[in-house]
Amino acid sequence: MRLQQNRILLLVILLLPLGGCSRQEQLHHAQLFSFGTLVDVSLWGASPSQIEHAEQVIHEELRTMHHVWHAWQPSPLTDINRKLQEGTEFTCPPELLPLIVQAKDLYRRSGGLFNPAIGRLVALWGFHGDSPPQGPPPRPEAIRKLLASKPGMDDITLHGSRLLGTNSAVQLDFGAFAKGYAVDRIIDKLMRLGIKNVIVNAGGDLRAIGHHGERPWRIGIRNPRGQGVLASIELGEDESVFTSGDYERFYDYKGTRYHHIIDPRTGYPARGVTSVTVIHDNAAEADAAATALFVAGPEKWPTVARQLGIKYVMLVDDKGKIHMNPAMAERIRFETADRPEVVLSERL
Amino acid sequence: MNSTLLTRADRLAIIACVALLPWLYASFWNNATGTGEEVHIVVGGRELPPISLTEEQTLTVQGSLGPSILEIADNRVRFISSPCQGKQCIYSGWHSHAGEFVACLPNRIALQITGRESRFDTFNY
Repeated sequence: MRLQQNRILLLVILLLPLGGCSRQEQLHHAQLFSFGTLVDVSLWGASPSQIEHAEQVIHEELRTMHHVWHAWQPSPLTDINRKLQEGTEFTCPPELLPLIVQAKDLYRRSGGLFNPAIGRLVALWGFHGDSPPQGPPPRPEAIRKLLASKPGMDDITLHGSRLLGTNSAVQLDFGAFAKGYAVDRIIDKLMRLGIKNVIVNAGGDLRAIGHHGERPWRIGIRNPRGQGVLASIELGEDESVFTSGDYERFYDYKGTRYHHIIDPRTGYPARGVTSVTVIHDNAAEADAAATALFVAGPEKWPTVARQLGIKYVMLVDDKGKIHMNPAMAERIRFETADRPEVVLSERL
Repeated sequence: MNSTLLTRADRLAIIACVALLPWLYASFWNNATGTGEEVHIVVGGRELPPISLTEEQTLTVQGSLGPSILEIADNRVRFISSPCQGKQCIYSGWHSHAGEFVACLPNRIALQITGRESRFDTFNY
């Protein structure tokens, strides 16, 4: 009897490693092409019914983002912008109120570097369109005139759900924030469906919960200049990875690149940075922080990161040098043939 | 373990299993480079038959705006021409890692690279 038990035990031990060979069957990977955004979704261990519902949730949320938050096509957001300009108090649509509340908070904590009230400046630079502008850049006088009126989120007063605009130059544009906000809403809904392991990657920015089976989710961070993968990172239980880069929307005019991340202090595209990658536990905040730190630049980003409560940052400057905080450096693994030059900041 | 508990056949079976483990590991787990093997092209939601990245070629794919030209060489793929305005698909360069996806959104063409085992679950950019 004992002999037989030993044999069975031995067989089980020897067969255990083979169990992992079927893990690929647990992974469902799909690309959803919805309302101008390509969403790459990876689900581990989800049932066919959960997968079907997940795809419906993603489609619905992208439709909301497209129709409710659109900054230049007629939408509830463009209605709000008109009423803010008129300067009369009005009731904010419920689907936009939490977005505005969170945006006001992030505006304050970033010292105004994340400023969704500069929609007019973004439009002046030609980035309110489905295709990038060709140039030339706007006239300096036009930029100065818009800057003089100093539009900011503090120019919007909130009384419960009632909004009042106190600066007619304010025009909301949630381009630096809406995608993160939508990803958070998608993840919340997927968790309510009982999904425990998923990555939702909307056009390169993502939030991941759970694991890929027995191991963490692994993310490749693409090289903002050149090709291939700059670095990789393994994610915790619930983390978002957002990157803002000067390569996302831009045009070249007479040898100069003009990109879409406008510095609210100067009115011009922020200079000195190629990309900023942020890891955080909230996608909307990661999205806004990546923009704010891009604007802050290679010298000032640690101060702004502290104000925003961001713990992991990697900034690639316009010389290709990499700036990171020590905690990020511990997690990043470079994937390039030559290790890039790294400048470590103080602890955040 | 007392050797009298195991017969000669048992010992042979154990040796065979242990010898098999390195091969199983190499076959199913140890694609350390995560190299892509095929590219799947999706045009407006319709997937074309996958193409091996070892088949060097230049191919034209008809999108919603017009033709996009793709090049496959050295186990990589890239857009070399597309009728979109931003040309981000072209600027993104070569793609070779299993799990990578790249798209020309205006022309509604998406490429997904697959391999036996992806080193990365997804890509941030």
